[in-house]
Amino acid sequence: MKALVLAGGQGSSMAPFSQTRPNPMIPVAGRYVIDHTIEALRLAGVTIVNLVVGHKQEALRQRFSGDIHSEVKVNLVEQGKAAGIGGAILAARSQFLPGEHFLLVYADTLAGANIFSVTMQSFGISNEPTAAICLTQSAEKYGNVYLGADMKITKMVEKPKKAGLGNYVLAGVFALPTTFFDELEKAQANMEKALLTLIRQNSLRAAIWEDAWLDMAYPWDILTANKMIMDKWSMASIHNGVELHNTIIRGPVKICQGAQISPGVVLEGPAYIGAGSFVGHNTLIRPYTCVGAGCVVGHGAELKNSVIFDDSVIGGLCFIGDSVVGQGANIGSGTMTINRPLDGKKIKVRIGKAMVDTGLDKIGAFVGDGAKVGASNILAPGSVMAAKAIIPHNLSYPSRGGK
Amino acid sequence: MCGIAGVISLGEVAERLVKCIHNLEYRGYDSCGVAMVNGGPQVHVRKNIGAVGEVSEKERFSTLSGHTGIAHTRWATHGAVTKENAHPHSSCGADFSITHNGIISNHERLRSRLSRDGHNFVSDTDTEVIVHLVEDYFKKTNSVEKAFVAAIRELEGTYAVAMITSHEPDRIFCVRKESPLIIGLGADANYVASDFNAFIDHTKRVVFIEDDEYAQVTHDSHSIKSISTGEPVARDVLELPWDSEMAQKGGFPHYMLKEIYEQPIVVNSALDIDEERIRDLARQTVEKTLTITGVGTTFYISQFAQYMFSLYGGATPLALSSDEFRHLAQMGKESLVLAVSQSGETYDTLTALRHAQKLGASTAAIVNVMGSSMARMVDSLILQGSGPEICVLSTKAAMSQMIILTRIALEAGVIRGVISRKVANARIKDLRVIPETIERILNEKSGFIHTIAKAQSHINHWLFLGRERYYPVARESALKMKEVSYVHAEGMPSGFLKHGTIALIDEKMNSVVFMPPKEQKELYDISMSSVEEIRARGGYILGIMLEEKGKPPAIFSDVITLPKAPAFAAPYLQMVAAQLLSYFTAVTLKRNIDRPRSLAKSVTVA
Repeated sequence: MKALVLAGGQGSSMAPFSQTRPNPMIPVAGRYVIDHTIEALRLAGVTIVNLVVGHKQEALRQRFSGDIHSEVKVNLVEQGKAAGIGGAILAARSQFLPGEHFLLVYADTLAGANIFSVTMQSFGISNEPTAAICLTQSAEKYGNVYLGADMKITKMVEKPKKAGLGNYVLAGVFALPTTFFDELEKAQANMEKALLTLIRQNSLRAAIWEDAWLDMAYPWDILTANKMIMDKWSMASIHNGVELHNTIIRGPVKICQGAQISPGVVLEGPAYIGAGSFVGHNTLIRPYTCVGAGCVVGHGAELKNSVIFDDSVIGGLCFIGDSVVGQGANIGSGTMTINRPLDGKKIKVRIGKAMVDTGLDKIGAFVGDGAKVGASNILAPGSVMAAKAIIPHNLSYPSRGGK
Repeated sequence: MCGIAGVISLGEVAERLVKCIHNLEYRGYDSCGVAMVNGGPQVHVRKNIGAVGEVSEKERFSTLSGHTGIAHTRWATHGAVTKENAHPHSSCGADFSITHNGIISNHERLRSRLSRDGHNFVSDTDTEVIVHLVEDYFKKTNSVEKAFVAAIRELEGTYAVAMITSHEPDRIFCVRKESPLIIGLGADANYVASDFNAFIDHTKRVVFIEDDEYAQVTHDSHSIKSISTGEPVARDVLELPWDSEMAQKGGFPHYMLKEIYEQPIVVNSALDIDEERIRDLARQTVEKTLTITGVGTTFYISQFAQYMFSLYGGATPLALSSDEFRHLAQMGKESLVLAVSQSGETYDTLTALRHAQKLGASTAAIVNVMGSSMARMVDSLILQGSGPEICVLSTKAAMSQMIILTRIALEAGVIRGVISRKVANARIKDLRVIPETIERILNEKSGFIHTIAKAQSHINHWLFLGRERYYPVARESALKMKEVSYVHAEGMPSGFLKHGTIALIDEKMNSVVFMPPKEQKELYDISMSSVEEIRARGGYILGIMLEEKGKPPAIFSDVITLPKAPAFAAPYLQMVAAQLLSYFTAVTLKRNIDRPRSLAKSVTVA
């Protein structure tokens, strides 16, 4: 079976990380989001993935340049000038033969287990277009659907204004016959319009998804996604060659090949230490921490519920909590992220021009790819650093020479 | 409670047989097995402990070759859950094999006699005596049929039995007494099973076997005879009105959710039941002294009906839990017992009806399963027409029962002259609004209720409170919570609270209050006073109420506001919200929703 995965979007609310990469190339729980998706597709029986790329596509091109997923063939399709979801879907039309059916997947959504199998099962009952639907606490952001007793979607309202609606929403996963391309063309490449036509004809089925589901829209969603996947871990796995001396390991901790764990390190799972990373003496790694490949974590640091992308440096004696640190970033020693405001209010984060309420009471900092934070800095809750931005050392006694 | 099935065809039957018991798993699922004859001198048996999927893979059921087979999914009553105690059971010579659902009450006596005669027992079950008994008689008579009948005549207790033997590999022998068993007639195969769900994928044409009748089923024929006289019995073939699509989950993650979603349809069919039937039963409730009975959910539904009769029907009937029925029932010719049962096979309720009949009372029943024991034994019957209910928990069938009983109560009120026909019609019109309002609740409130269920899933103790007709709704809703989520919940009248139970309330005990609409002002006010009592003790309170003018009172911790609807429709709609609360709590706690631990769909044992 084939899949059509849409990974060409801007995803600008994911700043600062979307400045430098497409959202599916964000790592969570030790793998890129796109890899989690393709693995789940493989388990659902998909052998060919047509991946529509656009925004910052180099990263995805590089990722799939070799034959990495031997069981799944990944075809890259250029989105080009085509606009919106509908445009992206039609851009890949030539990859499908008449009479086929396929899974359509929005690549910035992530589910706690195999949503694709469930959708295919539901599709298999009637061979009618099927949309996975799920419940979310922020239904006002999505297409809300009404469900009839026969599992047909009877009504759809895009982003209803009335807050507090507790509806099922579209989960960004569909099983469709190729005739859907015609429907979409008739609807001038407007996905919403095409779906509404199906609903009017009483031929859009629903597959109810009850496990965890996440639309990765904002930088703090990276932490939720990381937790969602790590919560499924039940066993520790430590690569054979990794030497441990006086290390305390609790719960499902994964340590990859070539990682160096210095004496006195405490690892509280679920946690992940990527290939070739170094963790200094007496460092405390607390649950839901993911340290990518090739990172350096200095001695005596404390990391909690944070995702550190590959090749980053966290200096000694840092506290990094509820934070995301981009690839190749450098956090100077003694830097603290403050993850809780004193007033106990929910934290707001600046995304573009807007202040967005995260609904969370603990958030640290979001440090873009390649950014540098000098030593001894204190980062406020919800602070956002652009890619490659620099904060100088916080010096109380500057020497004449350096900055 | 067990599920038995048999398939006979000219082709291989193993896979169909496995499917049959798979479909019967809700009747029991602690162990299972299959037996097959395929021309050899012995019956081949494979069995083990565990659910059907697991065991059939481990024991490779589908690789058993043969045209005639029986299978069983067990719910232990006699003997522990072990491989030896799993059915089918075979005779010493392995030439007979039997599956059984029910209880043989004289099995100990039979067992010691057979042991003395040299029979070797390998299990602790009551079932095994049947197969040794048949073997014993076969040695004397050299006729399978004669041996089968002679053996059955010796049995006391309740049973549905299916038997195959290598001596006559072209037929399945079966018999029933007070345990369900039906024959299914397919295009290329025939079936016997505890109920139609086993073979609904293959056929809807069924033949019912009555108590003390036995049948022989071949791949293209069936014959039924009386156990006592040996005379052939003619029985019509019935076409079940349910299609296989209806009996499947149809894409819903659980039967429970599917059945919750079917409630709009089910309410409509309950409202469409012929008025003459309702009037006829209502007339009987007026002419006689009425007792309504059920057990578990159906007892709470009976209690709800008690309120409706009292509020609109002009007299307060007795509502008895059928398991306690005979300890309380004082009745005679002037009495009418109205039983409520989804399956029509509920042991306690059947026993209550038999007791009532013995005392000379008339009987009536509201039943969902056509042709069930209860449907066949009562003087008057109303079939719910709710379609098969597969989830062990009753949702849509209970809703339908509430509607039907409300209709009877209103009609009784008209007959007695306590309400006018106009008022009754207006109330029925109110009920007509329920289907579309339920649809709105399901589509607009699911996420909100899911969110509450998730946020409160750490709570281990719940109180469900209501007054007047909302009280039985609270009890039924508490039972749903217990059954599906294994969380302790207690339903009680709000007024009862301050007489003791209030001592339990703290931040670890949540309350759900089924609020009456403001239209019932007095009731609304005293319900609010209970809420204040709980609030004063720091307990979390979830209010379930209709959307009305003004904001919902701020005293509640959370409020599930149901769409605007007539006041009369409130309790039915509140029940839907409570079903969703239990369902999502169970989903959050990852419970086995359609088959909760320790529960079986229709409880056919004492």
